Amino acid sequence: MADLALPKTLLVPAGLAEGLSEPGVTIGDVVQGALNSPAHRERWKYTKADGFLTQLVAPAEAPQINGEQQSGVRWWRETISKSMPGLDLQQGPEAFARLCFAGEAMRLDITGSVTDPVTLIHRANTLPVIVNLSANASLTLIEMIEGDEGQQTVWIDIGPNAEVKHSRNALNAASSSWQYSSVRLQSSARYHLNNHVLGCGVRRQDLHIIMDGQGAEAKLVSAGVVDNKAALDQQITLEHRQPKGRSEQTIHNIVANGGKCTFNGRIHIHDGASGTDAQLSNKNLGMGDNATINTKPELEIYTDDVSCSHGATVGTLSQEALFYLTSRGIDKAAAEALLSQGFLRQCIDGPLAETALNTMIGARELGASL
Amino acid sequence: MNLLDVSNLHASVETDDGPQPILKGLNLTVKAGEVHAIMGPNGSGKSTLANVLSGRPGYAVDGGEAMLGGKNLLDLEPFERAQIGMFLAFQYPVEIPGVSNMEFLKASIDSLARARGEEQPNTASFMRTVRELAGSLDLDPAFLKRGVNEGFSGGEKKRNEIMQLLLLNPKLALLDETDSGLDIDALKVVADGVNRYRSESNGVVLITHYQRLLDYIVPDYVHVLSNGQIIESGDKSLALELEAKGYAWLT
Ligand SMILES: Nc1ncnc2c1ncn2[C@@H]1O[C@H](COP(=O)(O)OP(=O)(O)O)[C@@H](O)[C@H]1O
Ligand SMILES: [Mg+2]
Repeated sequence: MADLALPKTLLVPAGLAEGLSEPGVTIGDVVQGALNSPAHRERWKYTKADGFLTQLVAPAEAPQINGEQQSGVRWWRETISKSMPGLDLQQGPEAFARLCFAGEAMRLDITGSVTDPVTLIHRANTLPVIVNLSANASLTLIEMIEGDEGQQTVWIDIGPNAEVKHSRNALNAASSSWQYSSVRLQSSARYHLNNHVLGCGVRRQDLHIIMDGQGAEAKLVSAGVVDNKAALDQQITLEHRQPKGRSEQTIHNIVANGGKCTFNGRIHIHDGASGTDAQLSNKNLGMGDNATINTKPELEIYTDDVSCSHGATVGTLSQEALFYLTSRGIDKAAAEALLSQGFLRQCIDGPLAETALNTMIGARELGASL
Repeated sequence: MNLLDVSNLHASVETDDGPQPILKGLNLTVKAGEVHAIMGPNGSGKSTLANVLSGRPGYAVDGGEAMLGGKNLLDLEPFERAQIGMFLAFQYPVEIPGVSNMEFLKASIDSLARARGEEQPNTASFMRTVRELAGSLDLDPAFLKRGVNEGFSGGEKKRNEIMQLLLLNPKLALLDETDSGLDIDALKVVADGVNRYRSESNGVVLITHYQRLLDYIVPDYVHVLSNGQIIESGDKSLALELEAKGYAWLT
């Protein structure tokens, strides 16, 4: 991480500086220091960090929001301060940097069961969004990533027994696009993300989920297509810090024709998180010429009494399935299309499923009517 | 003209130790309107015959001919064989998550219609037809939205094969142990489906292990396959004899 392209002149704002080693320290210094830990170096192993990190200092605007005028929803812009929850330098140095450079963040507080979805539309670099759910609250959060270039940072803190259903489409043909999300679940909280993504010039998706209360449940389902020399780098860390948490992650990516896809899924089960059930499955389908796929499962378990499975596969279409389809008169190209669509469709769901299907797969007469 | 003409067929299966000859000069002729049963011990090459005729990868034809309706089957891709009227009911139907049964059936019927220059059925009437067929085979129509064969019991998979047979209405149906693993009620449903399919213009090759199926689908001919050849042919009384005596007396 030697050529970290963050300006060194700006000081960490006083509101966030507390607890850092010295007073008067620059943002570039602290962030570079934090990124130099082995875990963060690993996160940037396959995609060059510099191009992305410069996005952190670019001007940012508020995302467009819909659905904020409901009872139980509060949305406002706020200057950064230490009262902002969940901002951990070590855990998310880049997100910390984004916040420092922006100097302000968008706040979304959810205090009840919100019926209509709240939608965030990101058309460019957007200000960090900090989402807080009170105990027992519930929210359907939709994010659409648009525009040619941009960086989005979102923190979600889910109170006890509260629930977030999160759907995100990142299907824009951007030159460079980076989604950084951090989610913290308190006891018995539930988080469910449906992520649909296309590779682009360079696309980076970071997701850090912390199971910080007993009995929390997290589910991630993600479908991706990386075609025509596009790139996608997904870095997921899921930490079980408390007992009896359940997590389930299913990520299907198709990589074709010179596409480059990196997936790093780390599960960290801390000492004391007994009774944890953590599952991760990453399947990659290579098609066409010269697809590059790096997938790395990482598992760190510091407690007994856990049920954990973690699998990553790289393969091609099943010959058995192809024969079955073609034996019914379907020609080979159509059978291959059906199979690859089926592979994706297993991971396309939620309120954005239809748009995702149409964009990723193309409208199909029957598919739409079923 | 014969519907199916297999003459002196030699074929081998590709194994890790190289090709292993299985079919060793097999002859079989099926005329329209006929049902032929092929019986034989485990490993005698029954599935190999079905697989070679339908074009499954992993087999090599070493000699002989196989014609369907006067066309050389062995030159064609699997989808082309289906388009000229070949149908294999799989011994082990494949599960395909993410591709719904309905989508699969529509893709299939559309491909066959296109190949024959016929009009593709409209979606609404097609879906009605499929639902009715499913009902007639005791399949819950809700399964049509699920992935192909996904989470089906063994019996449901076999009934799904028969549903496809009735929907696609091929010229020749090869049924590879469609009866195995079925309880008696399911066996009757499957047999009833095959009997509904039978007509003066099509033919059936029933591969089976047990005489039991032939009580419900009465064959015109019974053949015994052993060591890659048909070593005995007769009428349905041959099946009863095999049931009583086993295969050993023939070999
Ligand atoms: N994929 C394969 N690899 C190796 N041997 C095979 C394969 N498929 C079939 N065989 C062998 O070919 C022979 C015939 O098999 P098969 O046609 O399936 O018999 P049947 O259906 O009559 O039980 C058997 O000896 C079997 O072991
Ligand atoms: Mg067999």
